[in-house]
Amino acid sequence: MDGLITGSHRARRLGANVEFAEFKDYTPGDPLRDLDWKVLAKTNRLVTRRYQAETELACHIVVDASGDLGTGVSASHSRPPLEGSKFGYAVCMAATLAAYLERHGEPVGLHVVAGEGVQYPHIPARTGKRHLAQIFLALASLTPAGQASLAETLAPIAPQTRRRSLVLVLSDFMEEPEQWLMSVRAFAARKTDFVAFQLADRKELSLSFDTPSIFVSPEDGAELIVDPIGAAEEFEEVVERFMSEVKNGIRKEGGRHIMTWTDRPMEMAIGRMIGGQG
Amino acid sequence: MGALIVGPILAHMARQKPVQRIPYGATLLLRRMVKRIRRKRRLRDLLLLLIRALAVILLVLAAAQPRLRWEGDVPEFGQSGRVVFLIDNSLSMGQVDGNKSLLSRAREAALKRLKQLPIGAEVAVVEFGGQARALNDKLHRNLQRARSDIDGVQLSHGGTDLVGALHEARVLLEAQPGEVLVFTDEAGPVAVDEAALELELLLGNGASVIPIAVGTERPRNLAIVSAEYGEGLEGGSITMEVMNYGPDPVEALVTVGLPDNSEIPVFVELNPFESAEEQVTVPPEVPGGVAWARVKDPHLSLDDTRYFHLPRVGASRVLVVDGDPGATAVASEIYFLERALAPWGASRGGVLPEVKTLSGLADLDEERHRVVILANVSDPGPFAPKLVDFVRQGGGLVISGGENVTNEGYNAPLRDLLPASLRKRRNLVDLSARGGVPLALPSIEEPLFKAFTRGGRSALTRMTARRILTFEAFKESENVRILARWEGGHPALVERRVGRGRVLVWTSTFDLGWGNAPIQAAFMPLMQRIVGLLGGGEVGGGERIEVAVGEPVVSPIPAGILSMEPEPILKGPDGQTVPFQLEGKEELVLRFYPKLPGAYALGVDGAPPSVWIAANVASEESDVRVTKRLATVESEIAPELFMREARLAQPLIWGAIGLGLLQAVFARILARREHEAA
Repeated sequence: MDGLITGSHRARRLGANVEFAEFKDYTPGDPLRDLDWKVLAKTNRLVTRRYQAETELACHIVVDASGDLGTGVSASHSRPPLEGSKFGYAVCMAATLAAYLERHGEPVGLHVVAGEGVQYPHIPARTGKRHLAQIFLALASLTPAGQASLAETLAPIAPQTRRRSLVLVLSDFMEEPEQWLMSVRAFAARKTDFVAFQLADRKELSLSFDTPSIFVSPEDGAELIVDPIGAAEEFEEVVERFMSEVKNGIRKEGGRHIMTWTDRPMEMAIGRMIGGQG
Repeated sequence: MGALIVGPILAHMARQKPVQRIPYGATLLLRRMVKRIRRKRRLRDLLLLLIRALAVILLVLAAAQPRLRWEGDVPEFGQSGRVVFLIDNSLSMGQVDGNKSLLSRAREAALKRLKQLPIGAEVAVVEFGGQARALNDKLHRNLQRARSDIDGVQLSHGGTDLVGALHEARVLLEAQPGEVLVFTDEAGPVAVDEAALELELLLGNGASVIPIAVGTERPRNLAIVSAEYGEGLEGGSITMEVMNYGPDPVEALVTVGLPDNSEIPVFVELNPFESAEEQVTVPPEVPGGVAWARVKDPHLSLDDTRYFHLPRVGASRVLVVDGDPGATAVASEIYFLERALAPWGASRGGVLPEVKTLSGLADLDEERHRVVILANVSDPGPFAPKLVDFVRQGGGLVISGGENVTNEGYNAPLRDLLPASLRKRRNLVDLSARGGVPLALPSIEEPLFKAFTRGGRSALTRMTARRILTFEAFKESENVRILARWEGGHPALVERRVGRGRVLVWTSTFDLGWGNAPIQAAFMPLMQRIVGLLGGGEVGGGERIEVAVGEPVVSPIPAGILSMEPEPILKGPDGQTVPFQLEGKEELVLRFYPKLPGAYALGVDGAPPSVWIAANVASEESDVRVTKRLATVESEIAPELFMREARLAQPLIWGAIGLGLLQAVFARILARREHEAA
């Protein structure tokens, strides 16, 4: 994160002596000046040229849009129909982070886990206002749905990252940790900063419901009948244990973990990320 | 009526809240929670199942009335209500352990058991130190009396009469079942083994014998096992055997006390569980009587002293009657005998014989003289009764051949002393010849010749004889033996035991008249051995008896030894008179009961004692080691007495009831928790 605050890497992108890094398939929104016309003429294939500056400090924001994120009651941002949900919080936070990073000249990309209304689940890391608008549009189109698979979403991102890249994951991590922790290890192996924002709804995790209820999973529709009052003590122990598992797992694999309660301002979590905590 | 039925139902239904459906994003956690709860419930259910199953199993087992049997170390006590207390008050119970003697501990243990007896129990007490003695003639219910009987048991000097004690117990129990408590240290090599038969009889009557061992962790004792005045010339020696019954090496101080109140100390080094022999030289002159040897020992003092007889030690122990004083000094028996018995003179420990003529036999004194040598004496007949009496009393008589020895002079008067009647002399070779018939090699098994074991025996064969005395044919027996022969078989040295003494007949001469023995190298040691052997007995100074403390004495006394006027008295070691009985006329029998160790003297007041009695404690009591346990012998005879049994039905039922209550409480708690969770 050495260039994050000063934006000192901006100058590199503008210079003619910027070093070529790689070819990439064209994605709508990519600058046309980056199209390699020679390759197009020869192969009839749309590819863009990517330069060292763009790939070296890329920031990738991963947003969990699975069905579980569609629940929660304490987000302070209102956004119909996702008001009070963890997803709404995640979207707002992702947009804020993207704007912040773009303002500081850092290439930003967006990757979506599950969800509906996603035309392009992977937006590569770029700079520019138009790119940022693309990210905003993608976030606005999202609807939380489906089952999360962090491992599948993170897998293609890792090869794109380089040393000093940044990966920010916004999720409730409601999957068995052993299914996605290996991905964290892959980032750490490439010397990439991996920051996990674990989104959690306090009321949801306190099981503060008054009556026996049928709890339905938004992802797979599974139903569980639970008396919240009778099971409160046991549930508290389970939550505590799960939180420790996620936090310790991520840290053990070389990542950073920031607990993000949806009833707290997101600036606190972002500030901790910028400050290098977690 | 319909309202009464339907109403409550409707009310119940109205109180039911609708179950709402909640989309929940943390169902992963709910699933984990449910798994946990189920796992816990499974364990609880399993535990309940186990408890219930165990309760049922216990009930089933209880129905089978099981019993648990195991082997104990002593039989059960307190079953019959008829109890005999056997208290060992033998000498070994005087061992001190801490600040108490074993007998004190035995009494305490017995009183403790007495307290445990139920009201109505019948008891009796037997002590068995020395000779077993029942303190009651039958079982009784007076526990206070039993208590004072036990308190009154005192230490004795006697041995362990366990056999007698068990017999007394059997008599008291009247061959019926009962319990016999034996409070003993089980010390000694034979007491327990000897009691096996009596034990078997007792057990056969249905009794149980419960040994209660009272002993020290590491028994220790020093004791003088034996002490005796050995054969020897002037200033003989006392040989003692000191035994260490303990596990540690010891250097012990042993003191020998003589009848003249002088004492001789000596230090003895003893290895664990080993004895050592020590010799102490007695001064040249010591009055006769009972001497003692004592070892200093803090563990058990009652057996530290051993009493033994000491004859009068002094000069003139050998009286030689020269029957043929020679023409020259060198030609007489005396010349050769003096040089043989005192080669360096009397001042250096030799025995200078007192030389007399025949009439000098009138001075024969049993007190002073130990051995009489008749050297070529012609007619000892007038002194025959004196000689017979002398030998019977333990004296030694040596008769040698010579021209003066005639059949008439010896056969009739000394028929009570001679091994056989003499016949005429015999020439083994021509008398003019220089040589003679040599002595055959004698057996070293013969005590007289044992000193020649290491060498010198062949020197005896250089002794030769040309002429010898012969005997009528006689048969060798326990009392008459041929100790040595001349080559060819004629007897050379013949022994006859008479009373407590011995007679030796040398068929040749003690000078060079009939042979060359006196000038042979073996002559000196042979004569010294003869005198030493004959003179080592207890001669003179009265009859000597050895008895054991705590055991009744029944001892014959030779007639004529005791004057009955005035009436004799028996004095004990403490100077007090001791009751006794003398029975018979021709041969007296002395009866008395020695309670204390030491010297007893029977005689007329004011006169030297006629009978010396040395009373010692039984030496086996000094062995304080436990060789065999009474329980071991008993378990070999009746192993079933050592089996313990416990009936398990009741504990099993109680266990089942307990488990049933436990599972009920546990199930209730679980049900309440599940109800709350549901």
